[in-house]
Amino acid sequence: MLDSLGVPTKRLFFREAVAKAVREEMLRDGRVLVMGQDVGSFGGSYREFDGLFAEFGAARVRDTPVAENASIGIGAGAAAAGYRPLVTITYMDFLMLGFDPLINYAAKLRYKTGGGLTAPVVVKTTAGAQGQGVAHSQCIEAWLMSVPGLKVVAPSTPADAYGLMKTALRADGPVVYIDHKRLFPVPGEVPLAGDLIPFGQAAVRREGTDVTITTHSFMTRVALEAAERLEGDGISCEVIDLRSLAPLDMATIIQSVARTGALVTLEEGQVTTGVGAEVIARVVETIGHLPWARVGALPAPVSSNPVLEAACVPNATRVAEAVRNLLAR
Amino acid sequence: MKPNSFTMLRAMTRIRAFETALAARPDHGFQLLSSGEEAVAVGLSSALNAGDQLLTGGRSIGPVIARGADPRRVMAELLGKTDGMNGGRAGRGHLSDPGSGFFGAHAVVGGNISIAAGVALAKQLDNDGSIVAVLFGDGACGSGALHETLNMAAIWKLPLLFVCNNNQWSVSTARQDALAPRRLSDIGATFGLPACTIDGLDVEGVAATIGEAADKIRQGHGPAFVECTSIRLRSHSTTARETRKRQELAELLTHCPIRRQIARLGLDEDTVEMLDREAAEFAAEALAFAEASPYPSAAGVLTDVG
Repeated sequence: MLDSLGVPTKRLFFREAVAKAVREEMLRDGRVLVMGQDVGSFGGSYREFDGLFAEFGAARVRDTPVAENASIGIGAGAAAAGYRPLVTITYMDFLMLGFDPLINYAAKLRYKTGGGLTAPVVVKTTAGAQGQGVAHSQCIEAWLMSVPGLKVVAPSTPADAYGLMKTALRADGPVVYIDHKRLFPVPGEVPLAGDLIPFGQAAVRREGTDVTITTHSFMTRVALEAAERLEGDGISCEVIDLRSLAPLDMATIIQSVARTGALVTLEEGQVTTGVGAEVIARVVETIGHLPWARVGALPAPVSSNPVLEAACVPNATRVAEAVRNLLAR
Repeated sequence: MKPNSFTMLRAMTRIRAFETALAARPDHGFQLLSSGEEAVAVGLSSALNAGDQLLTGGRSIGPVIARGADPRRVMAELLGKTDGMNGGRAGRGHLSDPGSGFFGAHAVVGGNISIAAGVALAKQLDNDGSIVAVLFGDGACGSGALHETLNMAAIWKLPLLFVCNNNQWSVSTARQDALAPRRLSDIGATFGLPACTIDGLDVEGVAATIGEAADKIRQGHGPAFVECTSIRLRSHSTTARETRKRQELAELLTHCPIRRQIARLGLDEDTVEMLDREAAEFAAEALAFAEASPYPSAAGVLTDVG
């Protein structure tokens, strides 16, 4: 079909959009490799690498043992030596095991070599709560945003998954690309023109006049649902999908907030030193005081218990309430 | 006298003089010296070809000089000067000079081991016959990164040589109090690697053993592990307290790999004096170069971040 601009698109799930992006980049550049647990003939834990092993073979699509630290390290080393590996880490919680090569080596390599070496490695991982408990549910992207030299992206649509993954595989330095478990069942139209989505460009998902909601990943859908409900109350929400957390597109956020005059940040991770805390601080630094609120997980681990999980992570009801409270002040 | 024997002695003498001159400067900063461990760096480097790459932990000064990097630029780097090989940003912990076959130091203990395996993977894919060596201390043998990497290097038959420079100390903790294996090379053997423990104070022995291991790796036999038992003649770093007694240190000095090579070659006093003088000049020239080089401008603090 055609999108609103008349561009041909195809309906794809996230896993298909990722596979398409990776495949195209592997065809385009022989230095692109895929490494991770179950990425070979199994096609990836979420089938996001379906068909790549058959097409490109075991040298370029490599199953790894359960060794997140060495896998990211080997990816970073191969990147420094001229390749472009994509290392997949099944759950974002396990990314912690690879922080040393990612943060101490890859993110600092360009700086410490005075530009002599870079580590163009992409670490793809999957965040978010979906019944899997305290060590398989976390959204720790805010931890990564404070690392100089590291880029962090988190798509909320298959089109963005495709475009951001392609950009990531061509980027100069390490990129953490974050999928979300609850987005996998959601299909979307993906442009067939092979468009890359530059990092540092947010997307306005819904225009509004009373309050700006900034968010990313699966929470974009939650924000849109809340905005829909609030419209019934006569509250007009602008929803900004950050897409890229490092670098952040402050220009789009500032432009919106300057117009609406109020800001709510929404994330699935912790609000303490969270993505929202950073967005609010930068907005206030730029345009001065304004009404703001932040919504995120409650300060507790995310249990696999369905009642406790639902109580911990944000939903549209909590977001709508936060918006109403803010505007009623 | 084998032609290599004297060259290797000279290389060791130069490293000792270089580090001594560096440490004597009040502004030397924080350095990890390798006095007592020169035979490992020199023996290992003698087994590597121009296209090979060496990666090390933070105790990098001996290895980078042995590999043939410009000593003047090494000294400038160690002192934070712009003419250092990394513009003075990397320092001892992170020196990098891939053009000389020294891919880089990385000062997280054990942190460079998986990186080296990644460089070896790139070499395997390039299929150009070159290999990678990674040099780490006994301290790294307790780190999970080594064990994970050994496993993956073995499975993938990477052209990677694991060289453990066992100087027998992790800062103040003795090797036997920190590591369970009887020999550290047993760690490599567990993963099916050809593995051995050798005298790391015997430069010719190190060169011979590592040369054989490197040849096999070049022939496509996959990774190997060599443990070189050495001594640390100085404290952990130039700012760390020495925990050993004077008598113990004096006894250690009698095992100095440089003295040993001099004795093996039966050199007379004049020759030794000539060697020392030449090494002191080598160090002095590097220092003069570093001194003449400016510190980087603070305005550059944000360049090449990402």
